[in-house]
Amino acid sequence: MFGTNRRHLSPTRKLAHPPTRIAVKVAAVDDSLNSWFAREVLVHEGALMRYLLRTWFRREEIHDLRQDIYVRVYEAAAKSRPTMPKSFMFTTARHLMTDRLRRGRVVSIEAVGDIDALNVLIDELTPERQLSSRQELRRLSEALDRLPDRCREVVWLRKVEDLSQKEVAARMGISEKTVEKQVAKGARLIADHVHGGTVVRRVRPDDVKGAQNEDADEDGHGQQPGD
Amino acid sequence: MASSREIERTAAAWLARRDAGHWSERDQARLNAWLDVATAHRVAFIRLDASWQRSDRLKALGAGLRPDGVPARGSWPSPRSGNVDAPAPVPALRHAPPTRSASCSHRHVVGRRRTPSRALFGGLAIATLMILATLALGWRHYTAVEQASYRTAIGDVQELPLVDGSTATLSSDSQILVTMSRGERHVDLQRGEAFFVVAKDPSRPFVVSANGRRAIAVGTRFAVRREDDAVRVVVTEGVVRLEPKSQSGGSHQATTLLPAGSVALAGDSGVVVHSESVLQAMEYLSWRNGFLSFHDTPLASAVAEFNRYNTRKIVIGDTTIGSMRVGGNFRWANTDAFVRLLEQGFPIRAERAHGDIVLYRR
Repeated sequence: MFGTNRRHLSPTRKLAHPPTRIAVKVAAVDDSLNSWFAREVLVHEGALMRYLLRTWFRREEIHDLRQDIYVRVYEAAAKSRPTMPKSFMFTTARHLMTDRLRRGRVVSIEAVGDIDALNVLIDELTPERQLSSRQELRRLSEALDRLPDRCREVVWLRKVEDLSQKEVAARMGISEKTVEKQVAKGARLIADHVHGGTVVRRVRPDDVKGAQNEDADEDGHGQQPGD
Repeated sequence: MASSREIERTAAAWLARRDAGHWSERDQARLNAWLDVATAHRVAFIRLDASWQRSDRLKALGAGLRPDGVPARGSWPSPRSGNVDAPAPVPALRHAPPTRSASCSHRHVVGRRRTPSRALFGGLAIATLMILATLALGWRHYTAVEQASYRTAIGDVQELPLVDGSTATLSSDSQILVTMSRGERHVDLQRGEAFFVVAKDPSRPFVVSANGRRAIAVGTRFAVRREDDAVRVVVTEGVVRLEPKSQSGGSHQATTLLPAGSVALAGDSGVVVHSESVLQAMEYLSWRNGFLSFHDTPLASAVAEFNRYNTRKIVIGDTTIGSMRVGGNFRWANTDAFVRLLEQGFPIRAERAHGDIVLYRR
């Protein structure tokens, strides 16, 4: 699909006029729902990921599980916005995990006895703080520093020096297609760190109480993508 | 339906395409069509878009810098915040060992930089001799840039980012010594078990040694565990090369290639490899998520597993019950639940004595 797009568009790209960035709405749907979702739901991704990592047995399914949770929260919010988005998201997470455990062939019945472990009190999870702008900048710069060299350079030139992708390509002596690919990669990696504050896990169920480390987790420093 | 990761990649590709400029109404219509296919597409895109827009704030980092190239990692002035755990800026060491979790006293990190010692006494001949000597002593030591040692206490599992981008997940009561040099990434498993997600770097093989065995990977996921005199290797992605014991001369024991799904037990007498599905192999590694998986496992082995993770030990007080078979997934931190299930499902009773749990036949 992309290939055809690109071929179709390549003549246009060669035009000399400076790249105009159009302020585009994410979609035709209610844009405020999207920003609500980013503001009220995605902001808790770090807490959600810690919760999932602590409770969910198959780590390779967590990405998928997170997607399902977001889909369900988004679709519910499209009908009516939950008043307590964070609790709503965790309740959704718990339901989805319970469903999966009950449906799953692979997890044997003993694990269902463990389903109580899913009933983590929401209160036990650290309340998400609004990051101060300095903290936010720090988290962003950590995200930047975690990128592989070339990707980091592309993101730097694009975001800090504000060059267009085309100018980045010229500066680095690489193709525009490569720049685009690095932007895609950078966007994904940055999202994981910025939303999730990717976590070094201490897999200790009784560690829920050990909130002294949670502060560190909130800021996401010293942490590395999980899988 | 595409997997969530595939969807995320496609969403990222759209985002990057839009970011490239020359974005027409038609492009937007196409993107909208893709977003309308499934809510999963939409949430993936919103998520990436939100953080990509937020990273416009990175521009603040460029303030006051001459626009000549990208500054080194960590060269940002560290904004002071109320957080005592704020990481120190690490401009000098390109890769600093993780400094977080200073609160975990049981984990100590030693990072030191080795520099080649040369020309100490001056004189070309001596210098040359010294360099030759160093070469002879071992290129690995000569080029070693960094060493770090990590240890976990009983009942503690930790995931550690390594400086090369790999991660090591250290199981309970385990210890590794990591040496990163130009030619090799070397992990000495000194105790217990560790799981590795190896960053690809064809020029620097990733070697894990334990009990005289070397397991070598270039970019893969695998776990190595010490068991008395043997070494167990579980591969869940890629291929690992298991080398024979160095003392054995290497002539009569062949090198073993272990594809994903392999569970190899290498002892003095040779290597036994079980080829299983990757999912089955992963069950050997469910400790990473806080679980232990048993399938038709003798109770004695299951108990030994639990004891790896807990200071409060389970003791088999009656040898006849050791051969009973148990199955299921259990939280390794929840010994009580395990014992309770044993009492419910088997003719077993448990006695708590001196902090241990002793199992008897009922």
